[in-house]
Amino acid sequence: MNKGLLNGACALDLTDETGFVCGKVLGDLGVDVVKVERPGGDASRLIPPFHQDVPGVERSLYWKAFNTGKRGVTLDIEKPAGAEVFRQLVKRADFVIESFEPGYLEQIGLGFDVLRAINPKIVLVSITSFGQTGPYSHYKGSELISLAMSGVLNNNGDPDRAPVKESLDSALFHAGIAGATGAVTAYYHAVLSGAGQQVDISVQEVGASRLTSSILAWDLERVTLVRDGHKSQMGPTSSDWFWACKDGHLFWHMLGGAFGAPANKALSDWMDEYVKDNPLRDVEDWMKFDKAGITQEQWDRFAVAIRPFFLRFTKDEIREQSLKRGINATVANDPHDLLESEQLRARGYWTHLNDPVLGDLEFPKYFFQARDTENFSRSAAPQLGEDNEDIYRNELRLTSEQIDELRTTHAI
Amino acid sequence: MPSETPTQQSAPKGALAGVKVLDFGWAIVGSLTGKFLADHGAEVIRVESASRPDMTRVDRRYSKSSLSSLDDKPWFAHLNTSKYSLSLDLKNPRSREVLDRLIGWADVVNENFTPGTLQRLGLDYDYMTTINPDIIFVSGSLFGQTGPLAQEWGIDGTGAAISGRLNLTGWPDRIPITPSSGIYGDYVVPLMNATAVVAALAHREKTGLGQYLEASMFEVTAQQITPAVLDWQSNGRLEGRTGNRVANASPHGVFPCAGEDRWCAIAVFSDHEWTDFVSALGDPDWAADSRFATLEARKANEDKLERLVAEWTSSRDPHEVMTYLQEHGVRAAAVQGPEDIIDNDPQLRERGFLQTVDHAVLGPFGHQTPPFKLSATPAQLRPAPNMGEHNEYICRELLGLSDPEYIELLLEDVFR
Repeated sequence: MNKGLLNGACALDLTDETGFVCGKVLGDLGVDVVKVERPGGDASRLIPPFHQDVPGVERSLYWKAFNTGKRGVTLDIEKPAGAEVFRQLVKRADFVIESFEPGYLEQIGLGFDVLRAINPKIVLVSITSFGQTGPYSHYKGSELISLAMSGVLNNNGDPDRAPVKESLDSALFHAGIAGATGAVTAYYHAVLSGAGQQVDISVQEVGASRLTSSILAWDLERVTLVRDGHKSQMGPTSSDWFWACKDGHLFWHMLGGAFGAPANKALSDWMDEYVKDNPLRDVEDWMKFDKAGITQEQWDRFAVAIRPFFLRFTKDEIREQSLKRGINATVANDPHDLLESEQLRARGYWTHLNDPVLGDLEFPKYFFQARDTENFSRSAAPQLGEDNEDIYRNELRLTSEQIDELRTTHAI
Repeated sequence: MPSETPTQQSAPKGALAGVKVLDFGWAIVGSLTGKFLADHGAEVIRVESASRPDMTRVDRRYSKSSLSSLDDKPWFAHLNTSKYSLSLDLKNPRSREVLDRLIGWADVVNENFTPGTLQRLGLDYDYMTTINPDIIFVSGSLFGQTGPLAQEWGIDGTGAAISGRLNLTGWPDRIPITPSSGIYGDYVVPLMNATAVVAALAHREKTGLGQYLEASMFEVTAQQITPAVLDWQSNGRLEGRTGNRVANASPHGVFPCAGEDRWCAIAVFSDHEWTDFVSALGDPDWAADSRFATLEARKANEDKLERLVAEWTSSRDPHEVMTYLQEHGVRAAAVQGPEDIIDNDPQLRERGFLQTVDHAVLGPFGHQTPPFKLSATPAQLRPAPNMGEHNEYICRELLGLSDPEYIELLLEDVFR
């Protein structure tokens, strides 16, 4: 079988956590992604949690998670000798991915115009909190800061408390994937035209891109959607999406018309077996049920009956009954549920990457499947400077003297 | 239905100009996959049917939307810019005369029906390769095309639950809250689908080979919680919901501001950042307390610290907090609502986050642009099509059907 779809292409990845995922996607596509870190290692190698809870540059589980499939070198691109090596690397690269403060690369003489002069087909992917230009482009950001500015955070959380984020980095992940889409689109264009370009990703804007509901409600109706906890407001009515059961949580959402009818009826029938005055029973024809048209009061009557009903059952009981009866309720997974998921196992989603520090922990193997190419993560995240020798000596053909010189000047 | 030959001579060429896409995509994932390609210059023909319209063509939650029309829905308009529409009844056997020609015409096929649907219609990848051997075919789904749960269906909330994201969103003392105010996977998966498609196009340039591709919301979004999956394996820990706190920063949270339900966000990671933060606050006495001297100490006394920070923020306007703290090098933001981001955010405006597009029925309004900006070949948005708007253009000009052929199919009610 062929290696990944972009096998043969090469990327230099200078990102911190703001842009890790972009290079990871490209690596899975078969691109030879080389992580370029300053000597001593990037600060992002110290993001917790750590393997066996012992901090260390080779132990960050966060770093390990999002840098699989990449090789790694150390290089100080601020030093003249380091910058020269970087220019040589750019010559043979198709992508440079970076997440520095806008203007930094220009400042050290490695801006897009310089890179393009070295290699006209180079695609520069820049992933930052707010983007390359504009009044906030120099603001300092992070997952939380970008989410706050995107509008996403405002809608997230219980109404009686502050807005609240996802515990992990949903915005950076989304931005990394958007970076990969931009990178590959620009690359395709470069293959045909010979001309590279810059891809500009703003984490704030990527977050805002998933707010179609809020945007339309404000733009067209001057309505601000409420922050409604475990519910979701998709129209005038805010309806429950997530529920507690005996030992966990689940998703069950009432949809209208033909889409929702079978599941709505199945839940109503199941409730009939336990609940005396089942309000769902009042709906005569689920096929004609107009969910978008119901009032908040009517929804709340349903919810008051559904809430204690789900609490009667365990996750396993809900899984079983949902499949048997076609209720379309989905139990919320924890990390160990993912590792044990029959669906993921059957599809070969997990893989061992033989990390020298982590040992045989399992990692996700792919973002998507293809029939004739293998777009897989093939190696664990690189150790600090793991591929210096291979890349500087064997690929760039630097001499021992040149490499020693780089070492003495702390350029690598 | 009258149709006009679309004119696009004046528009600059997009990165994907010349790419031809047969688009069966629907709802959000399928629609956006095609949109990202279309906005960058691909010719995308959306095949749809008035007898089974997309849910976003019947969605009536906005006052501009009528019961009687399929063409006045803002959701559909946002998600389907720059496409052509062909209305076609796939259950009518004679639709094949058009479809087979389109399969021959296309470089890419995009679909996200419930797995097995196209197979039942006799229109799966294997069939298409008999007409067009190097076609690129992408399927989107919730659970994947194979495996014991392949036939199960759901929406974005299903994805939040199965991916593990739900249990990691909200407060430790309460049940989880809806992540990303409802929709996440629906926006991430189409980016992955588009990435796979364009990579396959580049691969085909090199090898001449087509490709079958499939992505699931389950698998794409489960990648996001990999640090937690490793934490479980390495440390046996299920960290669960942590509110706005993170292990390597403090203060790191959302704090009340002046005004009705107004908030700001502040994130202080290193000791150096703490010094900047304290100095921005005017070196208050409490900040010199040993309880806050190191990150470790601040984490141990985080409740107290957050109360003190809130005292400082609560009389201030959120944008004022942001501007002032950013001037002092502190990571700070206003928690922006829809009015802020649409009407008042100079940064999003500069980036052209919304592009005004004149929609045939709804008139001009801001449409979302793809969330990746290409410097030399920027996205160009044209309005989303009305149902079947381009039937005649597609059949006559693109596929070369003769007058009698086209009229016969019209009379057979194929275009409904």
